[in-house]
Amino acid sequence: MELSILLDPFILAEVSLQGLIRGSMYGLMACGLSLIFGLMGVKNFSHGEFFMLGAYAMFFVAVIMDMPFILGIGAAAAVLFVFGVLVERTLIRTLRRRAGREWLLDAFVLTIGLMVVLQNLALLTFGSTRRGVPTLIPGGVEIGPIWLTNDRLLILVAAILIVSMLGVFIRYTRMGKAMLATGQHPEAAQTLGIDINRVYTYTFGLGAALAGIAGALLISIFPAYPTVGFHPVIKSIAAVILGGLGNVPGAIAAGVLLGLIEAYTTFFLASGWQHVITAVLVVLVLIVRPYGLFSSAKGERP
Amino acid sequence: MALEIEGVTAGYVKEVPILRDVDLTAGDGLVTVIIGPNGAGKSTLLKVICGYLQAAQGVIRHDGVSLSGLQPKDMLRHGIAYLIQGHSVFPRMSVQDNLELGAWLLGRDRRAIRQAFDDLYTRYPLLRQKRRMLAGDLSGGEQRMLELARLTMTQPKTLLLDEPSVGLMPKLVDSVYQEIARLKEHGYTILIVDQNVRKAMHIADYVYVLKLGENSHHGPRDDIEPRLNAIIREWI
Repeated sequence: MELSILLDPFILAEVSLQGLIRGSMYGLMACGLSLIFGLMGVKNFSHGEFFMLGAYAMFFVAVIMDMPFILGIGAAAAVLFVFGVLVERTLIRTLRRRAGREWLLDAFVLTIGLMVVLQNLALLTFGSTRRGVPTLIPGGVEIGPIWLTNDRLLILVAAILIVSMLGVFIRYTRMGKAMLATGQHPEAAQTLGIDINRVYTYTFGLGAALAGIAGALLISIFPAYPTVGFHPVIKSIAAVILGGLGNVPGAIAAGVLLGLIEAYTTFFLASGWQHVITAVLVVLVLIVRPYGLFSSAKGERP
Repeated sequence: MALEIEGVTAGYVKEVPILRDVDLTAGDGLVTVIIGPNGAGKSTLLKVICGYLQAAQGVIRHDGVSLSGLQPKDMLRHGIAYLIQGHSVFPRMSVQDNLELGAWLLGRDRRAIRQAFDDLYTRYPLLRQKRRMLAGDLSGGEQRMLELARLTMTQPKTLLLDEPSVGLMPKLVDSVYQEIARLKEHGYTILIVDQNVRKAMHIADYVYVLKLGENSHHGPRDDIEPRLNAIIREWI
C-alpha cells in the first residue's frame, strides 16, 4: 500500500473515530470496574460476564420481545443493577464481614469463580449461538467525508451521556456524596451516620449496571454469547490500571486511549498487534508510573 | 448522667480481655479525661462505646438508653459523636461537602441543613472563608478544626475524642485544647482519651486513670492533678 493512502487525513479521521467509539465503550466498562475497585477495593473479574448478561438482556428485549432497543438498554441496566446488589449482599458482604484483612483476596477469587459459573450457566441456558441485533437504528450520518452508522453514533453519544450523568450523580446527589466519602474514609463516614454497607451494595450494583449497559449498547458489534465479555473486560482491566487504580475519570480516559490504540494498530500494522501493544503499555506503566497515567504519585484522585 | 459504663469487659479475642470490669461515668456538660500508659485499653473503651467492639459483659448507657447491640453508624443518631484517631476529613472533598456529610442525619430537610450551616459558620468563620477548598489542602490544625466542627453539625449531646492532639505540631496543640474548651462552653458532654496527659489535665473536670485494662484511679481533676507525678511513676 502506498504511504500516501495511509496518511490520508480523511482515512485517519475515520480510523480515529472508530477508535473513539470502541474506546468509549471500554471507558464505560472501565468506569464501573474502577468505581467498584476504588470504593470497595474489590477487583471484579466477573465484570465481563455482567457485560455478557447485558447483551443477552438487550437481545431478549429487542429481538425476542420485539420492543424498542431503548427499553433493552433500560432492561440491561435494571437487571444488572439488581443482580449486582444481590451478589454484593449475599456473597461479597459475607466475605467482608468474616475474613478480616485477607478478605479482598478471597473476594478476588470469588469473582473469578462467579465468572466461570456465569459463563457456563449462559452456555447451558442460551447455548453457544451468537445472538446479535444487526442494526438498532438503520442508516447513518455523513460527517464531512466520513460515513458513520447510526449505531456507532449511538454508542458514542450514549457513552458520553452516561458518563456525564454518572459524574453529576456522584458529585451532586446524597448517595453520590456518601459514595465519595466512603471511598475516601469509610470509618469517618460511618461515624457521621452513613450506612457504608448500603453504600457498598449500591456501588456494586451501579458498577454492574454500567457493564450491562455497555453490553447492551455494543450488541451490534459484539453479539451475545457466553464468553463475549472476555475481550472487553481485558481491555477495561488494562484501562483501570493505566488510569490509576480507583481513578474513575482516569480509567475512562485510558479506555478511550486503548480504543484509539486498537484502531491505529489494526490499521497500520495488523489486528493481532493491538493486544501486544496494550499489554506492553500496561507493563511499562506498571514499571514507570505504577500509580497510573492520570494519577499523581501521592495517590490523589479527582 | 450522660454516659455510664458499668462493669465492661471486652476484647478482640474471647480469651484475652483488653478491658476488665471497667466503670466510668461522664457527667453532663463536663470534660472527662481518660489517661493511662500505652496498652491500657483507652481507645478500646471508646471503640466499645461506639459499637466497633461488643462488650462481653457490662452495660453502657447514654442518657439512660442502653447502647448494646448498636452499630457505629447508629451512634450519632443517639447523640454520640466520635472523633476517630488520626485524620478523618474526606481529603478530596470540599470543606462545605465535608460539613454537609456531617449533617447526613438531617436527611433532605433543607431548612434544618441551612440552619446547621448558618450556626456552624458563625462559630467557625475561618471554615466559611475556606469552604470551597479541598479539605486535604487545609493545614493540619485547620483539618482538626474541621473534624471537630463536623461532629457538631447535628448537635449531638456527647463528644468522644480519641487523641485529639496527636500528630499536630506543638503550637497547634494548644489551639485544639482551646477549641475543646469552647465546645464545653456550648454545653457538650466531652470524653477524651489522651496521651498528652498534662494538656488534657488543664481542661479536665474529672479524670480516670486506666492501667492494663482496669480502673486504677479516678477523681475530680483537683484530686488527681497533685498526685499526677506519683501516678505516672507507677506506669514505668
